[in-house]
Amino acid sequence: MDLELTEEQTWLSESLTTLLQREWTGAETAYAAGPAERDRLWAALVDFGLFSEELGAIELCLAARAFGAHLAASPFLGSAALGFATGFPDNARVSVAWLEPGGGWSSSGTLTSVRPVDGRKLAVELAAEVDRFAVLGSVDGAPALALVRADDRRVTIEPQPTLDASLPQHAVSFSGADAESVMDGDVVARLAAIGALLAAAESVGAAGRMLDDARAYAAERRQFGRTIGSNQALRHLLADMYVRHSSAWSTVLYAAAAFDDELPDAGHTPAVAKAYVARAAREVAHGALQVFGGIAFTEEHQAHRFLRRIIVREQQFGDAIHHERELGRALAAAIATPVG
Amino acid sequence: MRLRASSADQTLQDEVRAFLAEVLPTYADVPRALDDKMDTLRAWQAACYDAGYVGRAWPSEFGGGSRPAVEQIIVDQELAAAGAPEFANVVGLGVLGPSLLRFGTDVQRQRYIPPILSAKEIWCQGFSEPEAGSDLASLRARAVEHEDHFVLSGQKTWVSWGQYARWCGVLARTEQTGPRHRGISMLIVDMAAPGVEVRPMTQITGHAEFCELFLDDVIVPKDQLLGARGEGWKIAMYTLGHERGTAALPRQVKLRTWLDRLVREAGRRELDGRALLADPETQRALARSFIDIEVLRHHAYRTVGEYLSGGSVGPDSSGVKLLMGEAEQRLAATALDVLGPTLQHGDPAETAENEFWHETYLYSRAATVYGGTQQIQRNIIADRILALPQE
Repeated sequence: MDLELTEEQTWLSESLTTLLQREWTGAETAYAAGPAERDRLWAALVDFGLFSEELGAIELCLAARAFGAHLAASPFLGSAALGFATGFPDNARVSVAWLEPGGGWSSSGTLTSVRPVDGRKLAVELAAEVDRFAVLGSVDGAPALALVRADDRRVTIEPQPTLDASLPQHAVSFSGADAESVMDGDVVARLAAIGALLAAAESVGAAGRMLDDARAYAAERRQFGRTIGSNQALRHLLADMYVRHSSAWSTVLYAAAAFDDELPDAGHTPAVAKAYVARAAREVAHGALQVFGGIAFTEEHQAHRFLRRIIVREQQFGDAIHHERELGRALAAAIATPVG
Repeated sequence: MRLRASSADQTLQDEVRAFLAEVLPTYADVPRALDDKMDTLRAWQAACYDAGYVGRAWPSEFGGGSRPAVEQIIVDQELAAAGAPEFANVVGLGVLGPSLLRFGTDVQRQRYIPPILSAKEIWCQGFSEPEAGSDLASLRARAVEHEDHFVLSGQKTWVSWGQYARWCGVLARTEQTGPRHRGISMLIVDMAAPGVEVRPMTQITGHAEFCELFLDDVIVPKDQLLGARGEGWKIAMYTLGHERGTAALPRQVKLRTWLDRLVREAGRRELDGRALLADPETQRALARSFIDIEVLRHHAYRTVGEYLSGGSVGPDSSGVKLLMGEAEQRLAATALDVLGPTLQHGDPAETAENEFWHETYLYSRAATVYGGTQQIQRNIIADRILALPQE
């Protein structure tokens, strides 16, 4: 009953930070990075062995957190999520194609068919730079996941506007494309859960960076003849940001550990973590902007780039309201179920 | 990382559950009248102590079980899950007992610890004063050293269970010069000594579990000084941190039982011919409270884990305390929101349940005040974790 990282996990986390510092352009210039920089990072991640069966949810969340802290961009999230969901990670670059016009993040009600794959998907991340799509569809009304090669001629990719320019998003149309394989609802559920956790972990990383930067600024910036961080209004704001960030990481770590240990509550903890982090990361980001004041309202300052990453990850795999509704329904259903 | 209960943990859980199934019904209905309530809580603690569920991790030479700290947490969580009453000696077990173990002499530990565990002697704490609340270091109670004793005078407040206590851990100023934090000592005061007067005060919940304590030239023998003279502040801070760090896990279990109770109640009560629980807004409000409690549990695992593996309870316990207050207050306010007009319908069959929620709500307002206010916790985090410049 503890949530301490093992030595190997600590090593992995530190090594990935070193790798990102070496192989990635850094937060300051993340928006200038293009496919070449992302390819270079991807190659380094493959070389590192990030897509191996040995890595559990905890390790993948540690990686996602490091990505958020460095504003790294690569098809890591989709690739790692699919590998974890199927139990067969490989080095193929994967993007998850889930959202549909007019639809939300529930796995039911999708209009996409899978044999052959026919449908239109939105907000497909880095679609122009992946090898495969993991496409949510349905078979006889039940959720299913189809793998489609990105070079299939019946796939068309159009760029979509996005809040975070470092992570291009696309609309992808499948017009009778071949499914390399089709997996059942269990894989869909695992993909949704790990996807939510990785998105949350990345937000925690980005929020942690904003907290660190805001703290350092508050300890340095002077107004009214004193350091602004000596004012109780800002000390308390920063303390709240610290607690929010720290507890956000605790819940991600717990949910990941519950996944790896196959605990009975692993069914709902990813939703708890995603819902909490969605609100917590935004709160930390808003707090940081307030500490920075006007300077962070400039394009040049990096704060808005972390904020944008946080909002994009908040919306993927279900936002706070989506998961709160799901958890609320589950609480009600648990009571409605007759006992015995 | 270790989340899954070990087979030893599970055996212990099963043992506690079997014990509770057999023994708890005798004590489950705690009387409201204060004297009767105290008798029941004492008897309940004694029964649990005899079964090995009190002071399980405290040294066996002083009556404890010398078991790993995690076992007491497992036991406390089981007790909370079963809706067991609190222990009579909540201050002795949570605050002054740990201080005695850490700072007391062997003679003091032999004398005071065993009856704390068995509830034979109730303890209270005399920390806060009318003019020293959050600013505890400004306390004025004064102890003057003589040949073989101190003479203690002053006034204390928020003295839980003071009217039943045999002993009180009192913080008093022993040095009139030098830094104010260093001039404070911790004295063990005999509540039966001449010059000690206790006056219960009624709280907003209508109960009178707190007292004011008046100390008028009370003689305190020197062997009742805890730690060294001038070490009182250090002891108090250790004690309060300890309380914050370890209380969260049983507390989140308790909050979870209240949330489950609220969900059941919302499933049972109707408004305009429809179950309250059928409303998606109600479901989401309950879910937000559920998330708070879950995150408190996860965060407490992470921070307590460091303590269980030999670390101390550090300033992160302040973060746990902030989350604990937030979770409790949101749950209680959610109960008012969710039950809404049904609380006003005045159905006699609902009176006890309505009273429970009103009392839970009123009590929850203390959750961000006791044990150091939210503002004090934020100061601790700003100073000790974020290392921000002082005001």
